[in-house]
Amino acid sequence: MPLVYDGDAQAFEVIFDRHGDAAFSLAYRMCGRRSTAEDVVQEAFVSLWRSGAAYDRARGSVRSWVLGVVRNRAIDLFRRESVRTGRDVNAEGLVEQMHASDDTEDTVERREDAQQIRAALQELPPDQRQVIELAYFGGFSHSQIASMLELAPGTVKGRMRLGLTKLRIALGGPSGAVI
Amino acid sequence: MGAEMSDGDTASDTRGCGGEVAAYALGALDPAEVDTFRRHLETCSVCRDELAAFESVVRVLPLSTPAHRAPAELRRNVMHAIASEPKSAPAARTATRRAPTRWRLPRPALGLAAALAVAAAAFVGINAAGSGTPATRIIHAQVTGQGSAELRLSGDHGELVVNHFSPPPTGQIYEVWLKRGTGSPKSIGLLFSPTAAGQANVDVPGSLHGVSLVMVTPEPAGGSPRPTHSAVISAPLT
Repeated sequence: MPLVYDGDAQAFEVIFDRHGDAAFSLAYRMCGRRSTAEDVVQEAFVSLWRSGAAYDRARGSVRSWVLGVVRNRAIDLFRRESVRTGRDVNAEGLVEQMHASDDTEDTVERREDAQQIRAALQELPPDQRQVIELAYFGGFSHSQIASMLELAPGTVKGRMRLGLTKLRIALGGPSGAVI
Repeated sequence: MGAEMSDGDTASDTRGCGGEVAAYALGALDPAEVDTFRRHLETCSVCRDELAAFESVVRVLPLSTPAHRAPAELRRNVMHAIASEPKSAPAARTATRRAPTRWRLPRPALGLAAALAVAAAAFVGINAAGSGTPATRIIHAQVTGQGSAELRLSGDHGELVVNHFSPPPTGQIYEVWLKRGTGSPKSIGLLFSPTAAGQANVDVPGSLHGVSLVMVTPEPAGGSPRPTHSAVISAPLT
């Protein structure tokens, strides 16, 4: 990151190589359209390039920082253009799976983490998983979700809390495998 | 992980405040609730602890998405895009945050914009971003209603950063306008809406050389060729 801070394009290329797949996967998950996801990721990385100095190590990993910007860009887009093709949060719509032959030790570890997180999400009661996914991947506020699902806002917030608590227990157990 | 206690901290969840934490961690509180909750966080160690725990979960949620390979073309496009960006000094991309200032631009704002721009300069912080960083200026924009906004200037390039800002009225969107001299504000076709948490980072395309005022108005979805509402954000550059 110090090199990116100094405006080193090659260092930035490394950042893209490390996190571009995750960024695209998140954008694709949120937007549901390949071309839209590409636009979101491009906007996000250009924004990151301009604001490289804004990365604060104390607030999380570079990956979290990158993915946070991608998510914000996608939500900006939703608001701007009412693009919500990713609204069906259960639709997977895989187009290009990553190939095992490309795996490195890092990507294997990441895949194992991903499997653990997916499993933990799947273990949640559907109503809790639904509100978490609508909020995180859909960019909806709790009151919007309450309106969509015809629930009281307090019910939505309660489900979010229960769901995140269960996820934390599932992911951050004694082994602290993921978080 | 325990949050540090400080004077005035509440040691228990006696106000039932924990109900907001998960929604906040997910970025799902309504803008009007965010400020209130952040103030609450300052005095509630229970919520701070719970938030730290929830944020660690939220941070890994993206990993649950099905993995896709980023297209090679996307990589090329990104690298091409940054190559065409001005390679500014690191200090020029550093920003500092200041407390927001607020004012209300009156309804006939457009005709008075030039005068207001001059008057506003007295109330607007135009700062170098810390010692030794003269290339960056942070202009604290005047905001109507809640939230704050600042224009980060690096050379001729500007980025509008909005925090805790209300969403536009239903069916509308925020549009960015540039005003040069005594001319009318011109659209640059830049539309945005803040996130559910009231945040937006809006890169203003092109050069701001000669621009005296950057302003934002709510406009019908799709934008407008000319402002139809009073400015809700106004950042004088002079």
